[in-house]
Parts: sequence; C-alpha cells; structure tokens
Amino acid sequence: MIAGVAICPPAPLLARELTGLDPVVPELRQACAAAAERLVKAEPEVIAVVGSARRTAVWPADGRLNLAAFGPALGLRDEKTGPPLPLPLGLGARLLDEGGYTGPRLLQSVHSGEPAAACLRLGARLRTLSDRVGLLVMADGSACRSLRAPGYLDPRAAAFDATIADAVRSGDLGPLRAMDHGLARELLADGRPAWQVLAGAMPGRAASTEIHYEADPFGVFYLVAWLAGE
Amino acid sequence: MTGAADQRTLHLGGRAFGPRQRLVMAIVNRTPDSFYDRGATWEEGAAMERVHQVLGEGADIVDIGGVPAAPGADVSVTEEIRRTVPFVAAVRAAYPDLVISVDTWRHQVARELCAAGADLVNDTWGGWDERLPEVAAEYGVGLVCSHAGGLPPRTRPYRVEYDDVMADVLERTLAQADRAVTRGVDPSRVIIDPAHDFGKNSWHSLEVTRRLDEMVAPGWPVLVSLSHKDFIGETLNAGRDERLVGTLATTAVCAWLGARVFRAHQVTQTRQVLDMVSAIRGERPPARTVRGLA
Repeated sequence: MIAGVAICPPAPLLARELTGLDPVVPELRQACAAAAERLVKAEPEVIAVVGSARRTAVWPADGRLNLAAFGPALGLRDEKTGPPLPLPLGLGARLLDEGGYTGPRLLQSVHSGEPAAACLRLGARLRTLSDRVGLLVMADGSACRSLRAPGYLDPRAAAFDATIADAVRSGDLGPLRAMDHGLARELLADGRPAWQVLAGAMPGRAASTEIHYEADPFGVFYLVAWLAGE
Repeated sequence: MTGAADQRTLHLGGRAFGPRQRLVMAIVNRTPDSFYDRGATWEEGAAMERVHQVLGEGADIVDIGGVPAAPGADVSVTEEIRRTVPFVAAVRAAYPDLVISVDTWRHQVARELCAAGADLVNDTWGGWDERLPEVAAEYGVGLVCSHAGGLPPRTRPYRVEYDDVMADVLERTLAQADRAVTRGVDPSRVIIDPAHDFGKNSWHSLEVTRRLDEMVAPGWPVLVSLSHKDFIGETLNAGRDERLVGTLATTAVCAWLGARVFRAHQVTQTRQVLDMVSAIRGERPPARTVRGLA
C-alpha cells in the first residue's frame, strides 16, 4: 500500500551548490524539502525513489548525487562517497538525507523509453514492497514553455503539462497512464516514465493532495506536491 | 603555480584575507600631475568622491599617494604631508574599517600617515628609505616591499640591465621582507611587489609577468601594479588612453599565476577580471548559474 507520495522535479539547480552565489530558486528548494519532510513524517516502512534514466535498474542504496557531472569543480566537495546515481535518483536521495530519513530506501530508475505497460507494472510492484510504501517521484513536465526554455516554445506544452497538473491536483492519476510518448519526447518531458510508474503504483484516488509549488521559471514545468495514500 | 596552501593569510588593518581572495587596491591620487588621471582627484572633494565610488565598485583597499612616480617638480616632505595626511584622516573618519594604503617612500611622511590612520605603507621605490620598516613596525601596519632595481625615487630606467631580472627582483624584495620582519613588522602584513616599469624596460616587465609564479612561490602575498603602465603601452603600441584592455589582460595572467593584490584605476573592470579568474580556478563560485541546469 502507498502511505504517501512526494513529487519533486529532477532539476540540477535543486542542488544549491550548482547555482553559484545566487540561490536562484530558494522557494522551489523549500517546497521540495517540505514535500520530502511530509513523506518522511508519514512513517513509511520503505521509501522508493523513482526517476527516469538511461536504463531501468535498482541502484545501490548508498548512492549519491553526482555533482561533479554538472559542476566539475564541485565534485570534490561531495561528502558522501557512495556510487554516483542518475540525476533524478541522486537528487531524490539527497532530499531524503536532508529530510533526516535513515530507513530503507529503494532507488529505482526507469529507462526513458520504457513502454507504458512496463512502467505501470513496475509501479504496481513498488506498491507491494510493504504495507506502508513511501514514494518519492522525481519527475517534471515539458521543457518547452517559453522562448527561452531549454527546448524553445512549443504551443503543445501547456496542454501537456496541464494534464499532469490536473491529475496530481485531483488525486486521480488515471490520465497519466495514457501519456503520449512521442509528444513527451518532443517536449523534452523526460519524467514521462516516472509519472507512469506513479500511475501504476496508485490506481485509486489519493486521500488528499497538496500542491507546494507549480511554476515554470525557466520554461520547464515544475510541480512539487504531496499525495496522501489511498 | 604554487598551491594556495603555501600562501599565508594577509592581515591589513583589522581584516584578514585568505590566500584565495584577490584584492583590488584602488588608486586615489592627491597629485595635480599623475600620469594617468592627470590631477582628476587633486581637489579633496573629488578625491573623497572617488573613494566613495571605488568602494561602491568593490575595492578592497584604497591607495592614497601625493607624489607622482615620474620625475618632475620637487614635492617636499612638508608638501607631501599637506597633500595626504588630512585626506587620510578624513577617509579614516568616513570609513573606520576600510583598509587604507599610503603610497610613499619617505619615513617622515609614512609616520604622519600612520598616525592619521593608514594600515599599509606602499613603498614603490624598493626600500630607498631604510627607516620605513621602523615606522611600519611602530604603528603595527603593513609594508609593501618592491623592486626598483636600486634606482632612486622618481627616476626613470636608463639602459638598465640584469643578468636575470627575476632573480634580482626576488633577491631584493625577499631581502627587504626579511629585513622588515627583523625590524618588527608583523610578517602577516608584509607584501612583495615586482613593480612593473620601475627600474625596468618593457622586456623586463614582460619577463617578471611571465615568471610571476617564481615570486609567488616563497609565500609572501604578491601585489602587482599594472594599470596603464608603459610596458603595456609599448607592447601594444597604445597611447595612455588605450591601455585598459592590455592592463586587464595582464591582470588576468598575474591573477592566474598567483598575485593577490591588484593596484588599479578601473575597479569594476579589475574586479570582474579577478572574479572571472577565481571562478576559472574553482576558487570562487560563479554569481548565478542556471544555463542547462533547469
């Protein structure tokens, strides 16, 4: 059973070190920290961190954010010494660390091209890990929401992201099952498989939802949310 | 270059500057005839205005001088004191914590300036007046030990030659630094300066720039004073108003090689060059990085 779900965007700039002297988006970081804290407070028996990557795999639980991949000069300052993780899992692991979580964790990456059915099956499997599973979904929307966005402005981006936001806000994740893979790829929405894992893990409606952050300061759709278990 | 670990903390006034900090020393002339600014801050009001401005632009130190380096009309001790001491006192009153450097080679003047609140005696003329360290020690202030090749103050190099200019720079500046410490100057307040153009032709100045890491290696903080100097003008065939780019390029090279204090006219531009070098070296985070990280 799902005890609760925290959703955060896997944006590198969540790592405070990477934005230089300027915190740039402190409110986004605070929202993520609050969502992660909410997840930890729900007292899950295990937390599964889910994010897309180059392959579907379970990563070592002592893995760490690979800061050096984004800021080579910063690599040596990373205190933890576990193996480097794919970005979404690394950021998720750090959020759990910062939230004071020391319980069991499962770091699950999903191949960015994984078909919907496989994602849904994976979600259903995570759901049965224990009686109280916490999910930390590291996913965001399109990266094509403005002229300065990483993927430039695409008029289809707004509707694509609205589907995600509406599903999360309503607590009914059913619409995520049918996300358009091709469109997601064109809109640089790398989080698509993670969203579908979430849909598979939570077939029923969330008991309640909280949106902690919803904005696109760099043309990428960020959503930070908390979903209470079914 | 020498690792920052070999460099000492520099103390000036009440401030401590770590080995990775690169400091801008802003030039404030109380002269009617200095070569670059041509008397722009001769009036006390204009000079104080410049102090306000350079601090707003990020200067770490102001360097106040009353006698131009070039030969010209004699400036007596009394006149030098008249030009600089009341002004240093006024700057000190306005900015109690500011690091104030004074550009003088005369111990009589230095004494009055230290009494008025100076934190650093910037002796550009290579220890010509042997009593300067006494004054620095007496007032607990810092001392810049520079290389002028043994030339008397306010003279130009004429057919100067060195077997090895950097060896001479090292020998003279390190000897002065040791002497200063022996006479009681706090070693954490001693700076060395190759003094580009002073007692050097342009080839010599280029050589000490190229080999500045040798000067950094002993561990004393190195000051460079490059701003608009003749070696830059001769290198680029650039007139006095056309040397900023050359100055900044040389600033970047010296910063990369380990210099820590940069005496300059243009604070904003110098600050940017130093911040850029510090970021490239991985010693200062960039101001704001978002590109590719959203």
